[in-house]
Amino acid sequence: MRTVLALATKDLRAEARGKQVAPVMVVFAMCLVFLLTFALPPGALRAPVPEPRAGTLAAREIAGLLLWTSIFFAGVIGFGRSATVDREGSAADGLLLAPVDPAALYTGKMIGNLAFLTVAELLAIPLFVLFANIPPRSLLPGLIPVVLVASLGLAAVGTLFGAATQHAEARSLMLPLLTFPLALPVILGASRLTSTLLIKGEFGSEGRWFILLTVFDVIFLTLGAVTFEFVIEE
Amino acid sequence: MRKDPLLLTQQLLAAGFLAGLAGIFFWVPTEAFQGVAQRILYVHAPSAWVAYLAFGVVLVCSIAYLRTGDMRWDWVAHASARTGVLFTALNLVTGMLWGRPIWGAYWAWDPRLTLTLVLFLIYLGYLAFRANASDEGRGARIAAVIGIAGFMVVPLVHFSVDWWRGQHPSRTVIRPESDPALPAEMQIMLVAMMALFTLLYLVFLALSVRLLKLETDVMELESLEDAVLRPRPARYS
Repeated sequence: MRTVLALATKDLRAEARGKQVAPVMVVFAMCLVFLLTFALPPGALRAPVPEPRAGTLAAREIAGLLLWTSIFFAGVIGFGRSATVDREGSAADGLLLAPVDPAALYTGKMIGNLAFLTVAELLAIPLFVLFANIPPRSLLPGLIPVVLVASLGLAAVGTLFGAATQHAEARSLMLPLLTFPLALPVILGASRLTSTLLIKGEFGSEGRWFILLTVFDVIFLTLGAVTFEFVIEE
Repeated sequence: MRKDPLLLTQQLLAAGFLAGLAGIFFWVPTEAFQGVAQRILYVHAPSAWVAYLAFGVVLVCSIAYLRTGDMRWDWVAHASARTGVLFTALNLVTGMLWGRPIWGAYWAWDPRLTLTLVLFLIYLGYLAFRANASDEGRGARIAAVIGIAGFMVVPLVHFSVDWWRGQHPSRTVIRPESDPALPAEMQIMLVAMMALFTLLYLVFLALSVRLLKLETDVMELESLEDAVLRPRPARYS
């Protein structure tokens, strides 16, 4: 546990000094949110929940997917960047030589990535609320558990495959290619939960997505911890 | 010259498929509601079965490779992924050809269709990774991780695409494969095609494994040649 925290701290400290990952993610997420909110008809999300006008329902259905597409791609950019920074700075070699359990390496790296993703979300989501004209109090409190469970899943997949694609040609292309179909349940789940919140103001029967997302998190955190040694081994 | 049992199997298989085609077009009765279009089922369903089988083999061989480090497991996993992607593509294309006259659209966001497409993308990613892996051993290990992760995510993708479209009445389509009362000829034909496709899968698998083994042998010979003939002319290095 102490090792895991030390590893995560190493990533955060390197980021605080070098600022090589989080700013890229944040700017990328903001660009995407800005661009994609053009798709929403003006004022469609302004009407109060839980009784939006009929014409605005479609916009709310779409809004969740727009937000999570932005977050997903910002995440992928960041996860790849964070693994590349490790490789270029030879931190990956050092960690490989250190007498540390690969599962701890994975978990530490995952926590670092999760922190970067959270920073990006903390800026991208308010921006989305702003651009889409959503009354903040109707979305933000309910969105917190969604963000938590979905970000964990994205970071779990992204950390594993970020490291995995480091030694491939065209690695910046390989990472999204591998991550997208595997992370699909997270993207769909988080989008549906967000849209439901925008339409009804509560999760209702769509709350079952939380179970699916949690199962996803558990599966991929376990898989990452178990298989990370094969991914980083020389 | 040594007699190749694989070649003989291929010849038998070619004859089998000709007989199969004749059976599909001249022997099985035409389905009452869908007409001739239903006959594509005899290619569509077996290719789906082979695709799932192939990806299951990728999973098993990937685990075996990570546990033993024996390259032969990796060859089988790699070969099976290639074959699986091929049959998934065949399954998707035949499904769309069937969907156009029966559903009125090539593509419907039916959960099973979507799941198949996601599987196709996952293993296409697997193959793309293998083609781009710069280091043989590491590439094989990481590919095994992808092969395992790809299969683990299948039930989750299944639920997510099912729930995503859950509110829409997309399930009111005719589903010949779930109809319990198929006439005997149709059942026999389907089972025969399943068997032929499985054999075809095994032949593709064997050929592909042989190719991968040859590639490895060639690389070994080249490095051996390197060691013997150094220093080499610049164009070879």
